[in-house]
Amino acid sequence: MIELRNLTKNFGSFTAVDHLDLIIGTGEFFGLLGPNGAGKTTTISMMSTVLLPSEGEIFIDGKKLDRKAAEVKRKLSVITQEYSMRQDMTMDEVMQYQGKLYYLPRKVIKEKSEELLEFAGLIDFRKRTVRHLSGGMKRKLMICRALMVEPEILLLDEPTAGMDALSRRQMWNLLRQVNTQKRTIILTTHYMEEAQTLCDRVALLNRGKLQKLDTPEALIREQGEFAVDEITENGVSTRYFHNREDAIRYLENTGPQASFRATTLEDVFVECAGRKLG
Amino acid sequence: MGILTVLWEKWVEFRRDFYKITASALVTPVMYLIIFGLGIQTTSHGEPYLHFLIPGVVAMATMTGSFSAIAQNMSVQRLYEKALDQVMVSPTPLWQFITGQVIGGSLRGMYAGCMILLLTFPIRTDLIFNGMSFFIMFLNGTVFSTIALVLSFLAKSYTDAPRYTSFIIMPMSFLCNTFFSTDQMPAGFRQVVSCLPLSQSCEMIRNIANGMSPGWKGFLILGIYLVVFGMISMGFIYKKKNL
Repeated sequence: MIELRNLTKNFGSFTAVDHLDLIIGTGEFFGLLGPNGAGKTTTISMMSTVLLPSEGEIFIDGKKLDRKAAEVKRKLSVITQEYSMRQDMTMDEVMQYQGKLYYLPRKVIKEKSEELLEFAGLIDFRKRTVRHLSGGMKRKLMICRALMVEPEILLLDEPTAGMDALSRRQMWNLLRQVNTQKRTIILTTHYMEEAQTLCDRVALLNRGKLQKLDTPEALIREQGEFAVDEITENGVSTRYFHNREDAIRYLENTGPQASFRATTLEDVFVECAGRKLG
Repeated sequence: MGILTVLWEKWVEFRRDFYKITASALVTPVMYLIIFGLGIQTTSHGEPYLHFLIPGVVAMATMTGSFSAIAQNMSVQRLYEKALDQVMVSPTPLWQFITGQVIGGSLRGMYAGCMILLLTFPIRTDLIFNGMSFFIMFLNGTVFSTIALVLSFLAKSYTDAPRYTSFIIMPMSFLCNTFFSTDQMPAGFRQVVSCLPLSQSCEMIRNIANGMSPGWKGFLILGIYLVVFGMISMGFIYKKKNL
């Protein structure tokens, strides 16, 4: 179990994360959502100890997480938004370095590297330096590196950013597989479809504060499961309804420019973030 | 174990960039030796100037080798590649990471110093370089590796590393007992320069080279620098809020 207690991060006078309290269960697939600057990456960075909180604490299975907590950190692995690895190392060396940092035996490092690089379709490029890889390949390598140490908790900061649709689907399948092994996954993403498909629960952050916390289904239910989009003089406006009949009745009373659809997590996000951003 | 991991990483880097590292470690010191030692042939205290110069250039090469190995590498890893994040989240104790960096940096410095010794070996100078000389070179390397670590944690951008070289390493190279004795400096300034680590390393290596005792003062001063900058770098990696 991961517990964020009163977690706050200030950069000068700017508060990136503002007294965040969260409890994430073991084996949960948890999404951190929010507009740019909402504090998602800062939260992940504090959970990976790259940043230290200005206030508050993080506990993992009851033990406080800090830079000295080697036993707690052994449970963690992170995939950052940026390609955070030595650009002048080969793929093999990146994997070896990761294995050594986690004290894996040499034989295990070799076996796991081959298995994961093969799985990711990177095995033929293993001698290539990171600098000469495409963005998608670097992203896959980061995932291989993170999975190599079989972490109990996987922190993913926009892992599919910049990926094409096919690679993204492959990544979703991979993450589902990882999650079935009772690993906790914390994901930040800008793709609401991704969060809706993968996450058991999501937290909506805005300006560092927690706005909503629930399952995607419950958030959609709260918003109204049925949506009618209308084209007006000011653009598209959407109305949400809790039952289908109300939505259809409304649709019938509007012009031909209106359309009916199911509400998505993106609608919840847009309503929440849009309202706050004003 | 974590120390060995960092040394392995340094070895990978050294193996890959062997020619570049060797060439860049040699160019500047060899130029000094050619210009001041062979080109402008002169004497110092009745001895060929080269006898004075070689120990100083060896110490200087150790300093620049260690410093540049860590300062540039760590600045790029922290600010550009973000590769330090991989270490921060791992269970490898951060003190082991720092120690590995310091030893790795010092070994790179020693490599540069040894290359100078190898190059000047054919010149018949009767200078003595023994185990103690190599220990001083190693100690000098550890001091400048820790200084480089502290500066790389302070760096705001990866272009800061070359600036540190211009403002710290370059003046030390010329002033600290390398090309001329600090005894020739005005009082006050002389005492300040004498307290700098390179001045002490040069003096100790030179004393040994001339068959004298290195003295204890230099070890004490280098030890103080090592402890102070070592503690600061540990403080940064454990306590700095935004690495």
